[in-house]
Amino acid sequence: MTKPGEVLLKVDDLTVEFDTPRGPVRAVDGVSWQVRAGEMLAILGESGSGKSVSTQALTGILEMPPGRIVSGTAEYRGADLIQMTTRERRRIVGDRITMVFQDSLSALNPVQSVGTQIAECYRVHRGMSKRDAMKKAAEMLDQVRIPAAAKRVGDYPHEFSGGMRQRVMLAMALALDPDVLIADEPTTALDVTVQAQILELIAELQAERDMGVVLITHDLGVVSDVADNVVVMYAGHVVERAATAEALEYPVHPYTEGLLGSMPSAELKGRELPTIPGTPPSLQAIPSGCAFRTRCPVAVDDCAAEVPPLLTIAPGREAACIRRTSLAAREAV
Amino acid sequence: MIRFVLRRAVAAVPIGVLVTLGVFALVFAMPGDPLRELAGDKPIPAAVLAAKRAQYHLDDPFIVQYLLSMKDILTGHFGTTFAGADIADQLRLRIPVTLKLTLLANAVQWTLGLFFGIYAGFKRNGWVDRSLLLATLVLLAVPGLVAYFAAQYLFGVELKWFPVSGVLEGFPRSYLLPALVIGVLGFAGLARLLRTSIVETVNADFVKTARAKGLGEQRVLWRHILPNALLPVVTFIGLDLAGMFGGAIITESIFNLPGLGQFMFQAIKLKEGGVVVLLSTLAFISFILINLLIDLLYGVLDPRVRNV
Repeated sequence: MTKPGEVLLKVDDLTVEFDTPRGPVRAVDGVSWQVRAGEMLAILGESGSGKSVSTQALTGILEMPPGRIVSGTAEYRGADLIQMTTRERRRIVGDRITMVFQDSLSALNPVQSVGTQIAECYRVHRGMSKRDAMKKAAEMLDQVRIPAAAKRVGDYPHEFSGGMRQRVMLAMALALDPDVLIADEPTTALDVTVQAQILELIAELQAERDMGVVLITHDLGVVSDVADNVVVMYAGHVVERAATAEALEYPVHPYTEGLLGSMPSAELKGRELPTIPGTPPSLQAIPSGCAFRTRCPVAVDDCAAEVPPLLTIAPGREAACIRRTSLAAREAV
Repeated sequence: MIRFVLRRAVAAVPIGVLVTLGVFALVFAMPGDPLRELAGDKPIPAAVLAAKRAQYHLDDPFIVQYLLSMKDILTGHFGTTFAGADIADQLRLRIPVTLKLTLLANAVQWTLGLFFGIYAGFKRNGWVDRSLLLATLVLLAVPGLVAYFAAQYLFGVELKWFPVSGVLEGFPRSYLLPALVIGVLGFAGLARLLRTSIVETVNADFVKTARAKGLGEQRVLWRHILPNALLPVVTFIGLDLAGMFGGAIITESIFNLPGLGQFMFQAIKLKEGGVVVLLSTLAFISFILINLLIDLLYGVLDPRVRNV
């Protein structure tokens, strides 16, 4: 069992590259984060910011090649997943660390009943008999609040609605009572009311089990609802790390600020929604220095000089912006 | 399910009428007089000719001839060929020959196709995969006729491994050479299809899910990738199996196997409309049946198309 507050998964300086015909592309660059028991950590970023790639790399499900882990460690309770053999890693990934994906229709095997797919976890990792495993699968479906679970274990993924299917994915991920759940955009494919139900369910199940949850999302609304801490990523770098409440209240990095500014709110009613000018850079042509400087309202010439380091501004508060961190430091003096 | 089968059977009736009518019309439109061709160079007395013509209704209008043939087929009175052989007896003798050839050829084709397809799909860009692509191109470029005669010459005449033609050595020896040639010519397409299907499935999201569940590579391949990758192949196999009768017309004639294909070939040569239509009807019924079986099998393999 996990101790309360124990660091379960600690990613340190993870760098992932993809080999392309036009040379290597760095999708994740020196990323670090950690998640504790009972904590919900949100990794926030637009598509292409490297948020999914980092988790796929450490769980070993990233296609390698073309992907390649250049450096870094990902320790599950002190054991480095990246240095492990595939066989050793399979004992942890799928058992102690499990994953939920975005599109539940394509993420579930269309020709196997949902019961069989959930039961597979018990059969492979616990060596249970088919009967016992199916019984446990039905229990799991019940735990994720699928009505008439016992009747639905034999149904196929296409016979469920989107929200119900995502519950099935959750049941499968939580079947073995994992320590860490990595939820990769679990609500993106769902409509708003169902999104809220799924997030609530994840939060409830987390509280029951005291597990660590890594929630990958591009939706600030999702983060503000449920996450304890947030890591903001941009073009493969972590640009800000903070407790959710603080990040929402006082964003330090201009990118986080821009994201917050473009959230629809009651005050903005009737007016055009502000946006961050420009588009995210192609990973093949990341600007020198700070990757965000070409879209940044406060950029100066110095921003092009070198990649801004992630600096601590306050306890548990880090940001990678020479304009803001130096400013904050000056204010602190 | 029973409703599905019945609906398919009913839908097959008008198609069957069109097919048989078309085939009969084609035979009717062929030039030449069947009875004179049968007699060869020998002169036939006019009275005999007239009697024979009356026996086979050759002087009746087209549609009457067609309806009489269909009546015979549907009531099971197949009658005799122009040469006097009992058609029902002929069918009893010939159907097993064609079945043996077709099944053996398919066994060769499926075994090779599934084996190489799965291997090439799982070991992409390996040497088996690359050789398969080359082999496919070569095999698709070789006309069947060339391959049959070349195989007869090489393995029958020169190496003497197999009989050149005929069924004197019985099953399976007499059938091996034609079955192998058909199988080898046909397997490459099947293997390529399966290979491509596997490659597409490997990148599916549910395969990522399976890996994230910590499953071993073998389990991912056999339990998750293959059952999904096989779906398009089942359709291909069905169509291929149903089309085998057409191929049998040529192979049975070249290898002198007394099956339905050879029967068809002779009947066409002699303008025996009744026999041609009978055999076409048989082929049509087997085509419909095989397709029905494939659709039912597909429903078993893919829950998404059940109950439709």
